[in-house]
Amino acid sequence: MTTELPEELDPSLWLSIARSATESDVRRALTTSSPTEAKFAALVSPAADHLLEGMAQLAKRLTEGHFGRTISLYAPLYLSDYCPGGCAYCGFAADRTQPRHRLSRDEMMREFEALKAMGFEEILLLTGERSPQADFAYLRDAVAEAATYFSAITVEAFPMTTAEYHELAAAGCVGVTLYQETYEPVQYHSLHRWGPKRDYANRLDAPSRVLEAGMRTVGLGALLGISDPIFDALALYRHARALRRKFWQSGITISFPRVCPQEGGYQPPFLVDERFLARIIFAFRICMPDVPLVLSTRENAKFRDGIAGVGVSKMSIASRTTVGGYREPTLSPDGQFQVNDDRDLETFFTALRTKGLEPVFKNWDRVYSRGDE
Amino acid sequence: MGNEKKLNLGGQEFESRLLVGTGKFSSVAVMIEAIKASGAQLVTVALRRFNRERPSDDLLGPLAKLGITLVPNTSGARNAAEAVRAAMLGRELSGSRFVKVEIHPNPHHLMPDPLETFEASKQLAKEGFIVLPYMSADPVLAKRLEDVGCAAVMPLGSAIGSGHGLSTAAMVRMIIADSGIPVIVDAGLRAPSEAAAAMEMGCGAVLVNSAIAAAGDPVAMAAAFAVAVKAGTAARQAGLMTQSDTAVATSPLTSFLSGNQA
Repeated sequence: MTTELPEELDPSLWLSIARSATESDVRRALTTSSPTEAKFAALVSPAADHLLEGMAQLAKRLTEGHFGRTISLYAPLYLSDYCPGGCAYCGFAADRTQPRHRLSRDEMMREFEALKAMGFEEILLLTGERSPQADFAYLRDAVAEAATYFSAITVEAFPMTTAEYHELAAAGCVGVTLYQETYEPVQYHSLHRWGPKRDYANRLDAPSRVLEAGMRTVGLGALLGISDPIFDALALYRHARALRRKFWQSGITISFPRVCPQEGGYQPPFLVDERFLARIIFAFRICMPDVPLVLSTRENAKFRDGIAGVGVSKMSIASRTTVGGYREPTLSPDGQFQVNDDRDLETFFTALRTKGLEPVFKNWDRVYSRGDE
Repeated sequence: MGNEKKLNLGGQEFESRLLVGTGKFSSVAVMIEAIKASGAQLVTVALRRFNRERPSDDLLGPLAKLGITLVPNTSGARNAAEAVRAAMLGRELSGSRFVKVEIHPNPHHLMPDPLETFEASKQLAKEGFIVLPYMSADPVLAKRLEDVGCAAVMPLGSAIGSGHGLSTAAMVRMIIADSGIPVIVDAGLRAPSEAAAAMEMGCGAVLVNSAIAAAGDPVAMAAAFAVAVKAGTAARQAGLMTQSDTAVATSPLTSFLSGNQA
């Protein structure tokens, strides 16, 4: 089943721990200091649910020690929702009937201005799969334009070649986010029904190409719920470890998107409830204390407020998941996913400050970006 | 070093031997109060946290109002060229000649790159900066950095944010023994007693950030560090008694020797 998953990422050896660890196994894992797959497996196991409060306390201490009492902020910006892809779970898939839109240069600038006025200094530019409407050149030019507004530009789009990633970095991009969606190859093939995204190996290898090209950071993630979440969490952990070993001068971030049932009528086969999601986040924090953990507005306000600073160190807010959504919310009514935390900045900041957390817009400077050399 | 009344960095003198880092605080207000409570006259601030366009997100503005000496740091740089560029911009924006050279190519553990740190420090010292390099506790590198004109060296006590204290104590002692410039332990300190220990050892100063910012009460902890640094400095100047683990042996090993004891 896992023939396409390279040995260094294959979680098979640890699956039995992750499925059948006992409470005492989890306690022992919590007291061992060196992070290993076995420790991570015990912490994501169902038995760890009984020790969730202790894991949360430890996660908070580790987050505070490394990231302080701050939450870094970013905003996603959808450039285009044209997509030739056939992802069964995605609101932008080619067989969805909604009208499509791509931002022109002028529209893009208006979105940048709207985000800049809100205070954002880090933006994540998104497109669908590579399409004639939103190809590499379009994306590269958008990055270059955005770099005149913001301190940090990152991109979440389609897998590219090393040369393209290099060009993107030269345009001012400092990081690329690319979720494998699921690491489980059979499920991956059944969910990606057509299009270039069917190439599992090309996607799996893309984060390496990102870092080979000299990009500062790569963002990893699995879309939790579309496949066995334990398998995916373990493979994701192994993927992050492998990249850190190979690219010691690069940064990794990890996100925790959880699929929602309502997208295109898609019903996820696995339930990841809030306690399960929290367990996965805490396991990552405890086993990777120095990696930024990211949470988007897919999650609701109560969950986000609770987990901010308790594992999670970077968050988006006031997000629009429609193309052109910051300037004209009605231009394209259906977003890629439903925003479950639709608070404005000030409401969110008040919640963070009540918890003793400082929201930080600017935590980077263009002076460090390759595009300025 | 460490016996002079004041901390001398590049010809400028400071009463306080506690430097405070300004990241990681729960609010600018808490940061400002903590700095005041610490009595620090030098604070480090990351260029990446300068935000000229949005005062509510900016660290430079509120710190500049304190009337103390700012030390911009180059955190985010992964090589000498980037650090030099950042230092230039930091000087332009802050008006301070001080720079903390901080080059950590690995953004996770934040360990300083010795080769790039050496190169950047050499260039910046030539450019007239008062250079304070953050470095591993390496006695050879410390002398190399002194030789190229650094105003102090800043060996780490342990990893940034780890709270593991002075785990490099033996190396720091070696650095102090041979150093002609102040040695400032930076990173890893958790408790005021560790800061006192560093001062007793002969450090010229200590730099504390996480231990204050992540304390239960950051302002009270800043005051505690101030007292500890003063106590450690005073103890060093008073001269610690000789430490000895040896007891008087009941069966002397030298009794077989002929001749009378002098």
